[in-house]
Amino acid sequence: MPATRLSQTGNYKTTYRQDQGIFANRKELILIVVLLVALLLLPLITPRTMLRDFDLIMIFGIAALGLNITTGYTGLINMGQGAFMGVGAYAGVVAANAWNLNLFFALIFGGLSAALIGGIVGLPSLRLKHLYLAVATLAFQEIFTWGVGHSRLLAQGGAIPAPAVSIFGFRDSFLTHNLFWYYLILPILAFLVLVWRNVLRGKHGRSLIAIRDNDRAAVAMGINPATAKLTSFMLGSFYAGVAGVLLAYFSKSVVIEDYGLDVGIKVLAMTIVGGLGSIPGSVFGPAFIIGLDRVMEQVANWLGGLNLFPSGVDVATALRPLSFGLAIMLFLMFQPHGLASWWDKLRQYVTKWPYKS
Amino acid sequence: MSLLFQLLAAGVVTGCIYALAALGFVLIYKSSRVINFAHGQLIAVGAFIALALTQRGLNFWLSALIAMTLTFFLGVVIERFFLRRMVGQPIISVIMVTIGLASVLDGLMYLTPYASSNNSYPVNFSGSFSFAGISLSSAELFAVAATLIFLGGFTYFFNKSTLGVSMRAVSDDQMAAQSVGTSVQRVFALAWAAAGLSAAAAGLILGLKSGLSLAGLAGIGLKVFPVVILGGLDSVLGAVVGGIIIGIVENLASGYLDTLVPGGGTGAVLPFAVLLVVLLVKPYGLFGTKEIERV
Repeated sequence: MPATRLSQTGNYKTTYRQDQGIFANRKELILIVVLLVALLLLPLITPRTMLRDFDLIMIFGIAALGLNITTGYTGLINMGQGAFMGVGAYAGVVAANAWNLNLFFALIFGGLSAALIGGIVGLPSLRLKHLYLAVATLAFQEIFTWGVGHSRLLAQGGAIPAPAVSIFGFRDSFLTHNLFWYYLILPILAFLVLVWRNVLRGKHGRSLIAIRDNDRAAVAMGINPATAKLTSFMLGSFYAGVAGVLLAYFSKSVVIEDYGLDVGIKVLAMTIVGGLGSIPGSVFGPAFIIGLDRVMEQVANWLGGLNLFPSGVDVATALRPLSFGLAIMLFLMFQPHGLASWWDKLRQYVTKWPYKS
Repeated sequence: MSLLFQLLAAGVVTGCIYALAALGFVLIYKSSRVINFAHGQLIAVGAFIALALTQRGLNFWLSALIAMTLTFFLGVVIERFFLRRMVGQPIISVIMVTIGLASVLDGLMYLTPYASSNNSYPVNFSGSFSFAGISLSSAELFAVAATLIFLGGFTYFFNKSTLGVSMRAVSDDQMAAQSVGTSVQRVFALAWAAAGLSAAAAGLILGLKSGLSLAGLAGIGLKVFPVVILGGLDSVLGAVVGGIIIGIVENLASGYLDTLVPGGGTGAVLPFAVLLVVLLVKPYGLFGTKEIERV
């Protein structure tokens, strides 16, 4: 043990109990508390319009974390995360409207419904591998979009208003909308991250990683692949469902356009850009993709003023997919481990300084 | 009864276009095990190049030829610069690269005025033929004829030419093919080139039949999935048979089921239901190679 616990640089684990802790060492715990306090104070210094993007980043962070559980940690490719968000959103909002549920129960109901559907959609994963599974989730996404668009109960995909929220006497008003949701989503995100971190250190989380790395070896170790894969799908869809309910409440209504195939692909891109199998990456990815969108809006405004393009061309509609696609391709070709690997390098540099890592 | 025959005929026409679109997709998968999510965009690029050329006063047939040549080389470029780097990477990375590529191509097409409007080729294909109660427009008949010519050409190429035989060799066993002196890289490039060419052909035929819109053309890229899964991902014959079956299913659904469902549009979704059933019952499709994998 070094002189103070704060200056320790490596793993000093001497017992299994320490190895199974949620946090690696006390320093990490302190850092996380500092980070949380900083996040709580962040709205004080940011303009209100930017706060909206922070809210979206956190909502998509939850969805990306869910996809990370399925795709990053278990290696099951899921292209239908948008549909799982949609299942959660529709279930949560419709139930809240029908039975007068408050947000808390809507979140749980939405998450559980998404988990149920996720378990059913995950069933093919017991037989299918890799790209066959990707195609199966793609088909589910298409069927979901069509099904919602053709059911009278769900307004044929049109807007279904979400009930207004008030918690502890605070109400969601026009002026404080983004701020209100910031303080509401942040604890939910923190809680869900903590839950996953907790699952990850135990038997269930580790068996998912074992399935991803080598399913045959995992079976030989006594892991039931069917249970592990279904757990992973259900947990991932639960997170997606919660994110979907939050997105619906945040945008005050649920519309099918918010839960299409492109959304699922966007979440997949966020997960990859952030780094597959990384918890901080699940938030970096959404931050990068949403930030890129905002930057491209500015660039499009500037380019549009230059009159470079023939009439009938909307530069913004062109730049958005262009930059999005380029970002994915460049990351995959040059930084396949995503933003999280930069984060790890930075952390190693800081913690091991003055030594090189 | 005549409605049934009419729907069947329309289904075969749609199915021919699907078969042509699926052909390129299968070629890429067969040789390099890459699932190409940008196939719909390749189709659209080919169709829009030809449109741009005809609108500048060029003869339609000449511009179709130029469009197919250009997408041929576009395929080579895509393989050389993006997919070759991804050899040996996990499947999800390869899939995501093609999704990124689809997005980039979408963006590039939105930079032209064609992507955000509906167009049609300035060729006159009026008139229709009818026999035994079935009537088909001449554009539809042309679509079937052109598809058959293309499929015949590709089959001849695979079975007779040296390059075609080496493509089959690589898809059969990469290492063995390499050890007898086949260039695997050249085969991959050729697969992408052939995919580009056949995609452009599919785009041109679809454009002639039902007009040019980015959503309609690129949407074929998704329709290809039920086709190839039903036919078997690595089977050219499967692409053709699967294409025609899916085309018929789609047309029968929109003919008979649409009246039963509020809002209709069952033709768009039934292929995906078929896809799910096939995946659960017979994942390697009608003609696909069975890879035995337990766990």
